[in-house]
Amino acid sequence: MNADKKIIRIATDVLVIGGGTAGVAAANEVAGKGYKVVLTSKEDKVAQETKNGVIADMVAKAEANADIEIMKNTVVAKVMGVPGDFAVTLKTGDKAVERKFGAIVVATGLTTKVLNDAYGLELGPKVISQSQLEALLAQGKLESGKTVAFLVGFGQDGNPLVMERVLDSLTALGKVAETDAYVFVGDIKLAADGLDQLYAQARQEGVIYFKTTDAPKVSVDGDAMCISILDPVLRQQVEVAPDLIVVEEAILADEDNAALAEPLQIEADKNGFLQPDNVHYFPVKSTRLGIFVAGAARDLLSVEQGIQDAGNVALEVKKFLGDGNLEVPSNTAFVDVDKCTVCLTCYRCCPHGAIFWDSRAIIAEAACQGCGICASECPNDAIQLGDYADEAMAKAIQDGQGTSGKSPWIVAFCCKNSGLEAVNMAKTFGYRVPAGLQAIEVPCAGKIDMDYVMDAFVQGADGVMLLTCHNGNCKSDKGALYASWRAAEIKKMLASVGLPEDRLVCASLANNMGRKFSEISVEMERSIKKASS
Amino acid sequence: MIVAEKKPFDEISGMLAGFDKVLTVGCKTCVAVCLAGGEKEAVLLNKELMLARKVAGKPIETGAALVERQCDMEFLAELDDIVGQYDAIVSMACGAGVQFMAERYPEKPVFPGVNTTFIGVNRDVGWYEEKCRSCGNCLLGVTGGICPITMCAKSLMNGPCGGTNQTSCEINKDQPCAWYAIYKRLAGQNRLDNILKITEIMDWRNNVPRTIVQPGYEQRKAAFSEK
Repeated sequence: MNADKKIIRIATDVLVIGGGTAGVAAANEVAGKGYKVVLTSKEDKVAQETKNGVIADMVAKAEANADIEIMKNTVVAKVMGVPGDFAVTLKTGDKAVERKFGAIVVATGLTTKVLNDAYGLELGPKVISQSQLEALLAQGKLESGKTVAFLVGFGQDGNPLVMERVLDSLTALGKVAETDAYVFVGDIKLAADGLDQLYAQARQEGVIYFKTTDAPKVSVDGDAMCISILDPVLRQQVEVAPDLIVVEEAILADEDNAALAEPLQIEADKNGFLQPDNVHYFPVKSTRLGIFVAGAARDLLSVEQGIQDAGNVALEVKKFLGDGNLEVPSNTAFVDVDKCTVCLTCYRCCPHGAIFWDSRAIIAEAACQGCGICASECPNDAIQLGDYADEAMAKAIQDGQGTSGKSPWIVAFCCKNSGLEAVNMAKTFGYRVPAGLQAIEVPCAGKIDMDYVMDAFVQGADGVMLLTCHNGNCKSDKGALYASWRAAEIKKMLASVGLPEDRLVCASLANNMGRKFSEISVEMERSIKKASS
Repeated sequence: MIVAEKKPFDEISGMLAGFDKVLTVGCKTCVAVCLAGGEKEAVLLNKELMLARKVAGKPIETGAALVERQCDMEFLAELDDIVGQYDAIVSMACGAGVQFMAERYPEKPVFPGVNTTFIGVNRDVGWYEEKCRSCGNCLLGVTGGICPITMCAKSLMNGPCGGTNQTSCEINKDQPCAWYAIYKRLAGQNRLDNILKITEIMDWRNNVPRTIVQPGYEQRKAAFSEK
């Protein structure tokens, strides 16, 4: 079922949201591919202060590039339209402008939350957060001759980004005269470039680490502070009386992410990062075509990793926008305007953000991936999908009845990305497959209507299989999920009409799981034969 | 459909005293069909308000908008850009729409422009009759397609009361007796045995706002609530 292709024109300007290093790097790389870029920063500057000159160079390069328009103090107020034709309202103070973009790159940053509560400490002049220490060091305001104690890794699971900040501060502390530094640490996570070296260097310079599983006892009595810990090496209680306690901070997804995810119609994960845990989206894709995520917008990533993402973003942007002539399947979902009642079900269900509405639902050709979830959820059957229209599917089922002639008749609706390949593999490798098996291709398990399944039973099928991708590995993100929800519902229907539930099987298969397919289909055949004997 | 009727003008005007910039929002579905709260009625109400305020020497600025359905948040969101220009909103939708509008714009006073009256049918232009009380437990299968909850003054569910009066209800001779009508309908279909079936009383106690999640959407709702 190779659909014909056609060409449509799309916009090629690119919006990069986020003036941090990942955003600046992405803007440079995307502009380098020949696209005009608008880079927005919610602050009145782009990129942060940094420990080396690389980032300053990057910012200078972006500012000098005529193809990059930098809009400071600017936020995204509204996103309408579809991939290839986004209409974005950008707000700078009270002033709002609407601009057209073909693609959008989200490069928001990270935010921090100080974890003093986890240690039962109140912040004050002598108990400060990691951020406060960094500010003191940067301004050169830390007095000499002090004993500084770090508390890290007891308030949260350790991670390299948190550790890197401590190590950077230790390096800076080394330059302040007569400073003693102690690090009380739960777990030392150093799995990032250069951290091992920083850690070793700090030790050599006299920093003392206490690594224990139990959090240290911290007592604050007026000006006297004391940290007490059972040293696992010395096997005795150790007490340190610091002049300054530095409390670790959690590093979290940007608080703007949730507010951006909604208008952009992309999914955030449970930690608030804008990329789901689904391999199809790595490294920089979001759940929506034409919207890409870079650096800390997509995961807990360092500045360096954010800069690395920029190159990938530019490649993906070029792959999508090309020269503005986008080839799309002529086989995308189609709305019958006479039947559509704008109930918004399709708009709410589409995993690709490809549907909007005017007086009726409209499916954007540039964004539709042809999964068919909308068509299968539409309460009026007002949406039909190219080669997989309801009539064609009904005919396929009917034809199977006439041609198979073998008993029992088992209809398998197969996602073409996984289930169908598994069935073909089973046949090619000569694994056992029921004689009366009829495989019907669907573009995604999300296109398996409840109606098709019931139709198969009504036509006389003895069993029906829904063969989906694994959850988290569906190209349309939710197709397998929709199929499993519908299967659960049909099982209830089967029970209410007195058919055994095992006449319906919903199974997730990878395309190389021919053996598994053979097992479950043969088991279904065996169970049907047993019941009818 | 949900049938509404326009609120008395004085009541609307009273609610809007003290507001000088008002947005009146019609709803394109039920209330438009029953000629109470569509764009036309919204614009008319605005004209009425402007005229009244002009006469009183306190001019009012009005705007009118129409949305597909005020009971869907996505359609209400289409108003986000203009709501800020007004001090108050008059929603011409049913009570559900008014409340959803008030939920969307919690900072903004939202007033009803209509009285939501019943679920009913269209007899002719401008003429509507109540047919359903949305009791949540439909009996029409045994009552010949005539609802005793709605049509009987006492909402009786197992035959008429002693006041049934020669085809009419005791409250008023112009009000047909629901159970007489049910008897006639069932007799005509040879289904009079239905009338002997005992229907258990409806539990009207402890009414709380109802929520429905359609079969097959429980898991979807759960998946979305997790976020």
